[in-house]
Amino acid sequence: MILLTMVARVADGLPLAASIQEDEQSGRDLQQYQSQAKQLCRKLNAQSPDRCTLEAGDMNFHYLIAQGVCYLSLCEASFPKKMAFAYLEDLHNEFYDQYGRRVPTVTRPYSFIEFDTYIQKMKKSYVDSRARRNLGSINTELQDVQRIMVANIEEVLQRGEALSALDTKASNLTSLSKKYRSDAKYLNTRSTYAKVAAVAVFFITLIIYVRFWWL
Amino acid sequence: MKNMELIQHLLKMLKTDYLLNPLQRQYENVHRVAEPPGGPGPAQLSPSLAAMSLQSSTPEALRVVNLLQERNLLPPTPVPAPTPCLPQDLQKINCNPEVFRCTLTSIPQTQSLLNKAKMPLGLLLHPFKDLSQLPVVTSSTIVRCRSCRTYINPFVSFLDQRRWKCNLCYRVNDVPEEFMYNPVSRSYGEPHKRPEVQNATIEFIAPSEYMLRPPQPAVYLFVLDVSHNAVETGYLNVFCQSLLDNINALPGDSRTKVGFITFDSTIHFYNLQEGLSQPQMLIVSDIEDIFLPTPDSLLVNLNECKELVQDLLKSLPTLFGKTMETQSALGSALQAAFKLLSPTGGRMSVFQTQLPNLGVGALQSREDPNQRASAKDIQHLSPATDFYKKLALDCSGQQVAVDLFLLSAQYCDLASLGCISRYSAGSVYYYPSYHHQHSPAQVERFQKDLKRYLTRKIGFEAVMRIRCTKGLSIHTFHGNFFVRSTDLLSLPNVNPDAGFAVQMSIEDNLDDMQVVSFQAALLYTSSKGERRIRVHTLCLPVVSSLSDIFSGADVQAMTGLLACMAVDRSVTASLSDARDAMTNAAIDSLTSYRQSVLTIQQPGLLAPACLRLFPLYILALLKQKAFRTGTSTRLDDRVFAMCQLKYQPLFYAMLMIHPALYRVDDLTDEGALNINERTIPQPRVLQLSVEKLSREGAFLMDTGTVMYLWIGRNCHPNFLTQVLGVPNYAAVPENLYLLPELDTAESQRTRAFVGWLRDQRPFYPSLHVIRDESQLKANFMQNMIEDRTASALSYYEFLLHLQQQISK
Repeated sequence: MILLTMVARVADGLPLAASIQEDEQSGRDLQQYQSQAKQLCRKLNAQSPDRCTLEAGDMNFHYLIAQGVCYLSLCEASFPKKMAFAYLEDLHNEFYDQYGRRVPTVTRPYSFIEFDTYIQKMKKSYVDSRARRNLGSINTELQDVQRIMVANIEEVLQRGEALSALDTKASNLTSLSKKYRSDAKYLNTRSTYAKVAAVAVFFITLIIYVRFWWL
Repeated sequence: MKNMELIQHLLKMLKTDYLLNPLQRQYENVHRVAEPPGGPGPAQLSPSLAAMSLQSSTPEALRVVNLLQERNLLPPTPVPAPTPCLPQDLQKINCNPEVFRCTLTSIPQTQSLLNKAKMPLGLLLHPFKDLSQLPVVTSSTIVRCRSCRTYINPFVSFLDQRRWKCNLCYRVNDVPEEFMYNPVSRSYGEPHKRPEVQNATIEFIAPSEYMLRPPQPAVYLFVLDVSHNAVETGYLNVFCQSLLDNINALPGDSRTKVGFITFDSTIHFYNLQEGLSQPQMLIVSDIEDIFLPTPDSLLVNLNECKELVQDLLKSLPTLFGKTMETQSALGSALQAAFKLLSPTGGRMSVFQTQLPNLGVGALQSREDPNQRASAKDIQHLSPATDFYKKLALDCSGQQVAVDLFLLSAQYCDLASLGCISRYSAGSVYYYPSYHHQHSPAQVERFQKDLKRYLTRKIGFEAVMRIRCTKGLSIHTFHGNFFVRSTDLLSLPNVNPDAGFAVQMSIEDNLDDMQVVSFQAALLYTSSKGERRIRVHTLCLPVVSSLSDIFSGADVQAMTGLLACMAVDRSVTASLSDARDAMTNAAIDSLTSYRQSVLTIQQPGLLAPACLRLFPLYILALLKQKAFRTGTSTRLDDRVFAMCQLKYQPLFYAMLMIHPALYRVDDLTDEGALNINERTIPQPRVLQLSVEKLSREGAFLMDTGTVMYLWIGRNCHPNFLTQVLGVPNYAAVPENLYLLPELDTAESQRTRAFVGWLRDQRPFYPSLHVIRDESQLKANFMQNMIEDRTASALSYYEFLLHLQQQISK
């Protein structure tokens, strides 16, 4: 069962269209997953893999990035991955046809919310999926399975923060150690000068002592 | 150094260029920006106010009027709202009084001062009013105060170009970088010229943080009574025809959904799935445990299934033509409708023509017709069961609003049924004795009201919050909504005809403040799926002397607020308590004026000019259908009048309370208005007394929803022939409700005037032409407030009663 679908712009995470399976029988609290979905869209950038599945408890997030737009869906863990990605591909083709050109220009959230009607129809046809034709189209997509990376959602959400924290820590460390090195050098030279000065003073007093006492 | 700053500014501008371009484009949406021609901005607030002394408050407002002697108190034109006493540059950008109004336009400094003045302090707002000019702002950041979350408004002060001080909590905030650029004037560094700071009423396009879920589509569900009684009244024909005519004008986009449920003793659902050749009816007779027969296709996409919907509407009236069912299971129908709408939210329109007598929520007939004219207390003003209130609260939680249309000749317990709309932010429409043959005027009104109802602007899943300056607090709310968490009003639907009122008290002394501000922010989803925030800000001065408070009193707002308070008191305590409370309000305020403000004691009943109409309005309230005793009033009529007093915006509530009377048989073009090249005559507003009527004339009374045109017995035949098209008085037809379109100058003038009155309001007032023998004459005469009746005092007697109480 597909519970949540979201289409967002990758560059800034602006939501473009969305659809939620509001079903009295399912009765699930989708609020938490929805906020995770929003966060996820914001974290994604051009470096993220094109296709990925993220595990979140007993649900899976599947996403597909194409032409600067991210298509994200939340499905039950039992829902076959291949079908989920076929569904996302379908969405991408239709969405790009209808709205692809306008995506970079909009600023208002959910500018293409009217795409929801198409999402609902697609969802229905994929969920009532005993149809042979769905299985047929999935078989041809088999080779894509290898391209899909599976990861844990917590990692992705925390990943960015952990990495950047690490990065700052490392650079901090570098600069601190550089500073320490120069400070140490400075101290070293100072102590050398002090030693040399002390020895010189000793010799001068010795010479003066010898000069005045012995002569 | 200056060069360095310039270079830094330049660099910043280049960096933010990506953000600026979309901003620039979006600013093409700003419809109009009010730019004050020069003049000091709000940053110079304090010095200019300190310089202004309150002698600039017009002495006219405090002119002493002896009510017993001066008889002609009504101004010739409708009473305007008083202007607050602020410096001109602030008052020019202040909020429109039609949207936001306060009972006292000069706020007292302390609670004790307010108590001494003995006048109610409150706000009346009409936040979603249809406005002709509304600036709309799309911005990546919406600037709000960090602590109290107030939106930036024209009354904040800028400390320097980088910091602003909130006018509600006085915290200093930083101006964000994007706000420094003004795309309208393409200038940098002048944040106080931006439209958010120049307009007191403004609408923002909300970014995605303001949404709990993706914006919902427009969903409309119609729940129709099809019992024998309902088919008799013939309302189904009018409804289906109206919906067919307006089906393309329903607010929404390509996601709009509609659904239909009909009910009598069973519930009928309609499967409108795309691909069916005709609509399929599914009957559920288990009304104790209602369930939905199919999971989808009961609410369908309007664009895709339009033909099926139209087929259904064409066949519905005949489908139940022969029905003999007399029972009505309204409660179960409402539960089924709620189940259908709860996934998405939306609007439910319920049409009911009789008392629900089957299943959950069944009601008994509580009215005793013999008690209608009793001079003692009126019973049964509170709901009989809390089923409807509970259901309304559930609906409110799922963003469903319920609008109720009651078309019934018998008692329907509106006091209980009305709860379904009151707590879910819906509206109640009432057509007593509706019948397609016997009351054509009602039919016309129903048609026009339906048209407005189906096509007016609507907002979904809305919430509203009213904030005020530190020191003031809001404690009671009036209107149709559900109060969630102290000051957050939950409005599943917001419509342009709803008004709200709040009562305030002064918690801390407003000692070192010169002005206070109020802000109402309404967050809603438009029918096109856009999330918007409409913000209104009002600024009022603070005064410390009683005479200043009196000079700023707004008598109409006070009357409106007192009416809301009286409705609450009638339901919680008793009607006679409410009546006494209203009379005491007049007595107390005039006593306070006499003792504290008047320097010279004169005999007579003295009032300041701004409050001279107060006793008249109080008397009008006491004689209003909602509160009158001794005159036969049906309980449903009374309860509906109470609902309207709380729900209507102030302008229409005042028309209901104190109708306007005009003489129309001698309309001239003198002093006429010229609108759209039509000359609209402006006759003088007359006092509501039979004294002002004359047998030789024709008079038009405008009560808001109904207009009466009374023809005097000896009316000039010129008027009869030129305007009504009849040769003499005896030929005036009995049930005339339309002015014939004749080609004479008088007919044009009359129709222009009536049309102008009708255009000023969004609902349609029906017109009744009555003669002396007409049945409606009683209704007309009941509005003659200043006259004595069998059960109530005349205006002069009321004044004497007040004077007696004051001098005690």
